[in-house]
Amino acid sequence: MASKVTRRQFLKISGAGLLLLSGCTANLQRPVWMEPYVRAPEETLPGEDFWFASTCRMCPAGCGILVRVSNGRARKIEGNPAHPLNQGRLCARGQAGLQLLYHPDRLRHVLKRTGERGQGRWGRTTWEQIVEELAQQIQGMAPERIAFLTGLLPDYQATLVARFLKGLGAPPAVVYDTQAAFDGRVVLEAASQALFDVPVLPIFDIARADVVYAFGSNFLETWLSPVVYNRAYGRMRSQPGVRGMLIAFAPRLSMTAANADRWVPVPPGTEGLVALALGKIIVDEGWDKSNAELRGFYEGVDVGAVAQATGVPAEELVQFARRFAEAHHPVAMPGDLLAGSTNGLEATQAVEALNLVLGHLGEHGAIFLTPSPPSRDLRKVPVSPFQAVRELVDRMAAGEVDALFVLGANPVYELPAALGFTDALKNVQLVVTFASMMDETAALSDIVLPAHTYLETWGYEFVSPSTDRLIVSAQQPVVRPLYDTRDPGDVLLALADKLGGKVARRLPWPNLVHFIQTRLTSLQLLEGNIAAQDAKTFWAYWLQHGGWWSKEQAWQVPEPSQNLSAKRLLVPSPEFDGEASQYPLHLLPVPSVTFGDGRHAGLPWLQETPDPMTTATWDTWVELNPATAERLGVKHDEIVKVTSPFGEIEAVVYVFPGIHPDVVAVPVGQGHSAMGRWAEGRGANVLRILAPRTVPSTGQLAWAATRVRVTKTGRRRVLPRLESNIGVDRARERGVVPG
Amino acid sequence: MSEREHRWTMVIDLDRCTGCQACVVACSVENNIPVVGEDEVRMGRAMHWIRIERYWEGEYPNVRARFIPVICQQCERAPCEPVCPVFATYHSEVEHVNIQVYNRCIGTRYCANNCPYIARVFNWFDPQFPEPLNEQLNPDVTVRRRGIMEKCTFCIQRIRRAEEMAEAERRPLGDGDVQPACVQSCPAEALVFGDVADPNSRVAKLVRSRRAFRLLEELGTEPNVIYLKGGEAHVG
Amino acid sequence: MSADATALVQPKEEWRKRLLLDPRPAEEMNHMVLKAMTTFGWRYWVVVGILALLALIGLGGAWGYQVLVGMGVAGIRRPVFWGVYIANFVFWIGISHSGTFISAILRVFKAEFRRPITRASELMTTFALIVAGMYPLIHLGRTWRFYWMIPYPNQRQLWPNFHSPLMWDMIAIFTYLIGSTLYLYLPLIPDLAMARDHARGWRHRLYRFLALGWRGTEAEWHHLKRAITIFAFAIIPVMFSVHTIVSWDFGMTMVPGWHSTIFGPYFVAGAIFSGVSAVVTVLLIVRKTMKLDYFLREEHFDALGKLVLVFSFVWTYFFFADYLTEWYGGEAVAKELLTLQARGPVAPLWYLMLTTNILIPWFTLWNKRIRTSPPALFLITLGVNVGMYLERYIIVAGYLTRNRLPFDWGAYNPSPVELLISLGSLSTFVLLYAVASRLIPLVPVWEVQEGQFVHSLRRVGRILVPSVSELE
Repeated sequence: MASKVTRRQFLKISGAGLLLLSGCTANLQRPVWMEPYVRAPEETLPGEDFWFASTCRMCPAGCGILVRVSNGRARKIEGNPAHPLNQGRLCARGQAGLQLLYHPDRLRHVLKRTGERGQGRWGRTTWEQIVEELAQQIQGMAPERIAFLTGLLPDYQATLVARFLKGLGAPPAVVYDTQAAFDGRVVLEAASQALFDVPVLPIFDIARADVVYAFGSNFLETWLSPVVYNRAYGRMRSQPGVRGMLIAFAPRLSMTAANADRWVPVPPGTEGLVALALGKIIVDEGWDKSNAELRGFYEGVDVGAVAQATGVPAEELVQFARRFAEAHHPVAMPGDLLAGSTNGLEATQAVEALNLVLGHLGEHGAIFLTPSPPSRDLRKVPVSPFQAVRELVDRMAAGEVDALFVLGANPVYELPAALGFTDALKNVQLVVTFASMMDETAALSDIVLPAHTYLETWGYEFVSPSTDRLIVSAQQPVVRPLYDTRDPGDVLLALADKLGGKVARRLPWPNLVHFIQTRLTSLQLLEGNIAAQDAKTFWAYWLQHGGWWSKEQAWQVPEPSQNLSAKRLLVPSPEFDGEASQYPLHLLPVPSVTFGDGRHAGLPWLQETPDPMTTATWDTWVELNPATAERLGVKHDEIVKVTSPFGEIEAVVYVFPGIHPDVVAVPVGQGHSAMGRWAEGRGANVLRILAPRTVPSTGQLAWAATRVRVTKTGRRRVLPRLESNIGVDRARERGVVPG
Repeated sequence: MSEREHRWTMVIDLDRCTGCQACVVACSVENNIPVVGEDEVRMGRAMHWIRIERYWEGEYPNVRARFIPVICQQCERAPCEPVCPVFATYHSEVEHVNIQVYNRCIGTRYCANNCPYIARVFNWFDPQFPEPLNEQLNPDVTVRRRGIMEKCTFCIQRIRRAEEMAEAERRPLGDGDVQPACVQSCPAEALVFGDVADPNSRVAKLVRSRRAFRLLEELGTEPNVIYLKGGEAHVG
Repeated sequence: MSADATALVQPKEEWRKRLLLDPRPAEEMNHMVLKAMTTFGWRYWVVVGILALLALIGLGGAWGYQVLVGMGVAGIRRPVFWGVYIANFVFWIGISHSGTFISAILRVFKAEFRRPITRASELMTTFALIVAGMYPLIHLGRTWRFYWMIPYPNQRQLWPNFHSPLMWDMIAIFTYLIGSTLYLYLPLIPDLAMARDHARGWRHRLYRFLALGWRGTEAEWHHLKRAITIFAFAIIPVMFSVHTIVSWDFGMTMVPGWHSTIFGPYFVAGAIFSGVSAVVTVLLIVRKTMKLDYFLREEHFDALGKLVLVFSFVWTYFFFADYLTEWYGGEAVAKELLTLQARGPVAPLWYLMLTTNILIPWFTLWNKRIRTSPPALFLITLGVNVGMYLERYIIVAGYLTRNRLPFDWGAYNPSPVELLISLGSLSTFVLLYAVASRLIPLVPVWEVQEGQFVHSLRRVGRILVPSVSELE
């Protein structure tokens, strides 16, 4: 079927006369949106659809997309059915990418500050001038005093940045964004290193598992590759003859936990302890026939103590352990919440160890590892831990940074305020931001370089974590750039050309396309979905199919590390910032299904898309357990103040029945002071009040390790939500749920 | 248009639906559904044609959330149809879809009151697409002005297009050729669309499932949206 | 019987309380009515000015704004797609039942107390219908397309849907409006001719035109009487049909609480209840402001008070029957409706409705002293209309907040635009009435005179008996 669909999709679809536009001309009183054919680009045919294959960049997962373009305008983004990662499916964020392209508040010109920093007074300039000027400035600086702070960039940009900096002799870029911190990429890689000797991201084959234990995992929402896991979840539920079971251990009933057959609430940071206890029981009851050498893992684990610390009765722990051990294809997956705790690395290992002791590695429905890229050219730039950001900020504060380039990240918004990034920025002479919208960081910059959106530019992405294939996903422009914008990669190439010398030798390509084509040469020889005799044909096919992927399955089967037998798993108690007496509640920032780490708050479709659990839109809320809310004397729609040792925010109460009484959860994403008309001035930014605490073992930000107190303000603001909470509460009282 | 009569049906597998909202955005993009803003959502005027209803069961710690996506159920005996004074909504005998004719609608909102699934939404104001956001609009779908009722159409424009494609290629319409935007996007594949008149289609098989039920079946509206009950494995 | 046993006697003072036994010369009566019509105090102009302003703000300003900007300026929302406008519509249709009921039914049954009040109540029918008829238009999302509901031949051969109760509604309302306007006009002709004969200037021209050359010949009287009788009989089923059909707008749906077989008679009873009450309220104002004490007497208010009480009983019966059936049915969503009324957001309105519609009439109107006390009766009948309005509001806007999918329950509060339009339409009604009161005789003089001709007191033995000589 796949081939049929692709064939159809790639055909230019005709039918110009059949457009259902009749309504547009029916009445003169209505605003009429005529199709301005006068402005139609030359290569378009009126009324004919083109479907361009590309790669989604709304989150780092790298799903394949097809973009429907008619009359030179992108109309719809769909999953690419041929792409092995998402196989035609796409999440809410991915679909909303069009509004990134057509956002009315996009940056349209190169901007140079004319007033004070942050005053919002800008002058226009040209690309030629700005490249000239930047080249001059860079030449006048000591290379080690130049810094790049980037988000989790697409591979082509990350590689160009890395080469650019290497050519300059500047320190490598700090690669950090909050999405990566939520995913816990650093932690997962460290755990893989510890258990399997390779620092790569794990893949959990839940589609073929019959029992899935998810520890602090939001794999259906934002974690790593949500479309893949949603798809796998669906398949897990209806395997031939088997209905896979999902049990979630987490302090909050996330969407993932809501889909579980059983949600086991545990205090934050104790998920790893549960995993340890389960392992201990499995070992003690002798389920681990083949892996007796791993028994040392659980030396000294006290199931009773775990039961006490987590509130899960010991008998239940035994039942959970047995159910897991008895299953044919069980899989235990660690999640984003673990990464946010101070014991994240240990907890992640404890969870993955459950698969190890039962010997479920690299098989049907078990744990796999992301394979390494098919060629050196496609190597990924590793993600930096939060510690690297902290060091950068320290250097900035100490005046050791002359120029800061920010690309694909919004540190002013997403870093904890206590880190002092905004203050440190004042000591940096030159701040240059690449951005497609005026975000908070761009607003505090000296030069803002307007960037193409991902729908206007070229690129490639080695997909990690992937599925069972090696995937190099293709990215191509689907429409002509709307404004005088450039891809940051092209800007770097131009800069390198201008700078000359070593940098120019490192970046010898005249433009992005040349660069990408050289990256792909090695793929041509490998067996994959496309076979081409020459580079040009390969390039054409690559674009047409949306990428290259291996023909054969390319799972990497994890090999337990040699030194595991001596290993003892220890999960220390989680630590938190803030005195328990003053700050009695744990703060849980929740990455949003719609905004991710907040970068998509500017898109109206996503603002109006309800949060799955609360059905709330357009605002920030504070989820409180009904008992906690009662203790605090607050009800739905009342505004409360959430105070951490590092700041405070105000948001609206949502009395949330699915949250541990000691925890308050606040969604991430709102509270922007910039980013266009739909994002500005709504809700609150919970990231700002987090403790800037790093975990020594990984350097990761312990983003779920802040304590807060919640106080009433006496004010009210009705949360814009879809549900009738009166109705839903009545339905719960009476036990009547439609369906 | 092909000669054969179709009976388009959507199957929603509640066991697979994760509540991820991908369908909601897909539908908004495909059908030019306007964004109404914070205050209007607060009033209950969000325009989504599909909404994932979330119900709670039980109390902490034994609380569960249930998701049920609700769209126009494309009833065979649709309560909205007879009440419209101007035939703006009527039953298509060919597609077995409940059609809404935007141009004919005068905005009595009678149909919306009479829909037991609250599936209809009304254009309280003219839609706003500040430039260049208007360029995202799907040219196959009318932009509705103020005062008009609208609802899920099963992406009738996609049905028509698939039929035309099949006709142009001189082949019968195959199972899976027609995919409404929500079905196309659904990551967990909880939504399946097809023609139950074709006994070998996926939906035809799914509607025979023991888990199949219709929403508010007792009303006798005979929806063409079939739900599959969420499985409830008994867990320790 | 001997002649002296049934001798005609001149009525004494106590009998003179009754209009039909207290005849005055025709000229004097004509003069009274004409004087009331042509007296314009400054208060009248102030009131008319304020009313015109309010009507302009409500119907010109607020409605215009709504048409230009969109229905969104009203407070309606999902799932409450109908709100104040439909409640107003039902309310004004209800008010319009007064005229026909009092005039046609009482005429058919020869209830003599009707004579001086038929005109005033028929006028209410017409004006209330005009106001009611505006609401479906105000309520339309695309008002400028209202004519698509009219079955006119057109190129595209598009036809309205006669399955829709809204179509039935439109037809019923149009029929009723035409019928009741003609029914208002027919008995007006002799009075217009009388006014013509006494007026000068533009009034003379106007009445000459409207009186259709009435001269009062026997043939003319014969035809007129026949026509009135035919209309009186014909309009009664139309009246019943109108409110029944209005109730079917609700009853034919699947909306919880609306889908009820009893809604037809329940609404008719409610309409007459509120209509008769409104007649009392208006007559009290008319009598006070236009000095028509001679025509409108205690006996009339006494009789109308009894009618109000009777219809309070009838309404209560239907209300109770509906409520009890819903309650015993025990359907989940119906229970929610009852909870909504008893403890929910509409509870204050619901209890107020029970007070003004049941409690107050039942405990006051049995008393003749209260029935004949203008201030008391004014407050009671006004209260009944407040209560009846609340009944419609709860049925329309209240019931819609609850449905079978609890996720989609809603709330509704009328917006300022809705309130302004409502106020504007009320002002329009009063304005029309105020203007009409100075243009046409509010009391049908000839009917009163006819009544006085045929009424007499006779002595039977030792008692006096009012007697009527049967007409025709």
